[in-house]
Amino acid sequence: MKARSFHRRLVIGAAFAILLALGVAGTGLVWLFQRHIEQREALSLEAKAKELLPGLHFDVGGRPVADGRPSDGRFWRPAGGLYWQASAPAGAIYSRSLWDQTLGDAGPSTGESWALRRADGPFGHRLVIISRLIQPDRSHRSIVVQFATDDDALVVSLSEFRLETALALCLLWVVLVLAATVQVRLGLQPFRRLSLELDHLRRSPFARLSSDYPREIAPLVEAINALADARATDLDRARRRAADLAHSLKTPLAALSAQSRRARAEGAPLAADAIDRTIAVAQAALEAELARARTAAARVAEVPDRAGVLSTVDDVVSVVERTDAGSALVFDIVADERIEAPVGRSDLSEILGAIIENAARYARRSIAIHASDDGQCVVITIGDDGPGIAAGRVDDAVVRGGRLDEAGPGHGFGLSIAKDLATATGGAISFRASALGGLEVALTWPKVGA
Amino acid sequence: MRVLVVEDDPDVGQDLATELGKAGFVVDLVTVGDEAWFRGDTEDYAAVVLDLGLPRLDGLSVLRRWRSAGRTFPVLVLTARGNWTEKVEGIDAGADDYMAKPFAMGEVIARLRGLLRRAAGRVSAAITVGRLTLDTARMEACVDGQSIRLSQLEFRFLQLLCHQPGHLATPHQIAENLYGSADAGDSNAIEALVSRLRRKVGPDIVETRKGVGYALVTQA
Repeated sequence: MKARSFHRRLVIGAAFAILLALGVAGTGLVWLFQRHIEQREALSLEAKAKELLPGLHFDVGGRPVADGRPSDGRFWRPAGGLYWQASAPAGAIYSRSLWDQTLGDAGPSTGESWALRRADGPFGHRLVIISRLIQPDRSHRSIVVQFATDDDALVVSLSEFRLETALALCLLWVVLVLAATVQVRLGLQPFRRLSLELDHLRRSPFARLSSDYPREIAPLVEAINALADARATDLDRARRRAADLAHSLKTPLAALSAQSRRARAEGAPLAADAIDRTIAVAQAALEAELARARTAAARVAEVPDRAGVLSTVDDVVSVVERTDAGSALVFDIVADERIEAPVGRSDLSEILGAIIENAARYARRSIAIHASDDGQCVVITIGDDGPGIAAGRVDDAVVRGGRLDEAGPGHGFGLSIAKDLATATGGAISFRASALGGLEVALTWPKVGA
Repeated sequence: MRVLVVEDDPDVGQDLATELGKAGFVVDLVTVGDEAWFRGDTEDYAAVVLDLGLPRLDGLSVLRRWRSAGRTFPVLVLTARGNWTEKVEGIDAGADDYMAKPFAMGEVIARLRGLLRRAAGRVSAAITVGRLTLDTARMEACVDGQSIRLSQLEFRFLQLLCHQPGHLATPHQIAENLYGSADAGDSNAIEALVSRLRRKVGPDIVETRKGVGYALVTQA
């Protein structure tokens, strides 16, 4: 099922609401316009009636008689468009324009002020009619006077007004829907930013959502940040437990080693050998577990914080050049200080530390460390001027516990840890001959978003 | 040679004391941090073997206190938590070498001898040339009041230049001073050394005279 979009729902809702409101407004405007022009017509008819009313009176038979008649030529032409009629119980007089027709009955509600109505009239026209009662003398007899005009012009005006209003309202609808779309887009802007930040948060346990969200979604943001804190704490706790495990087991192993030496000194070499073998097995298992825990933590981070390559290399080299092997070496470091690897600093330290320490073990005089960033990948190469590795033995270097020299310090985990961590952080490790004559290790990370 | 061993585990501590004793060292064994700090601060030792996980006062704090009090003896750090972030922290605190537990006793003795060999012959003196002061006892440079730790080769290079202020040291002289010999491949290594040194002490302390050699800038 396609996910429903807030944006779409709000825009469609706004479009319907605006359409409804404009429909109501349009109907109201047309009604007001119609009322306005009918009243204008009524006033015009009242003015014309003033020519007739002063001359109205009864003849001896009680029929209405008009001394003067309205002068507008349309009253005189049959079906001229303007009509009048004066009716009394005994008879009625009509404008010539009515010819053989009448305006019909004015209805019971007719009083002594003008009343406006619309009705079907003669010659197939709809009429606007005003009517009232007048009493021309003191006999209390009334004449019903009606003036009418056909509504052709009114209908034309009204339909033109309807069309123009409809066009204007349609245009207004489009503008308002566009405005609503912009408003919805602006209103939902924080959600778009939230979505981007959540994506970053999903990939990095150290990322947090910003605190400047609108107060309507601030509680949600706070809840998500609290969850992220809890996740980071769990991750940190897992790492600490791994480190604590190391501390709690490595010291007893060192103590066991002391017991072995004591046993050997006291003439029990077989027992000492057995203890040494046990220590070696336990130590290998411990190193493997620690490496696995570190790799798992790096993998959980997926794309963790970025680490400055030059500063991390400097830190690691500052340690290695303190060691006996590193103290006599020159470190040729070429890296722009702006280059960042898409790896957490502690993971990058572990990777570089293992490789540089290994290089220092074999280098004669110098180690070259170069970093580059071509926009697509970050590449770090570590080359030494040592004996290098024979082509067939490269794989041995990265097998856990595998060692190229059987003598000397180390447990054979260095390059294997570096490889696992580099892979877990989305990078790759490769080996080739160094221009200095020894081994060159190349680390490559594709840039996020490249 | 008197060595202070600071280790809280009784078996490991006793083993270290015994084996170092057999190797010819006179060993004082201490098991808690605050006592270690006091002994290191008040007595003269040729070197210290320091465990980081100590009761009462942790090893890094002990080390920082010694260094800030001007104690310059070499310190070999023993740590169960051998990750690189902690190693960097240890070196920043003033350690001279580190070893992860469990360790081979032969390697401890070899590294301790290496530290003592490197520390030997350092006469406690400070040489100032221009803005640079070289502390020959602590193997540190000081520029504009900022202390900078140097590697063995960087120290030897600056020491050579400090002893002939204003005068050139040729690549031949430098190679001989650093390695005891001068071969064709040394000039690139010396350039790399100077390049890293400049990032540590600043760009205008060591002057390059192209094709001729290097000298210290003597004007403050």
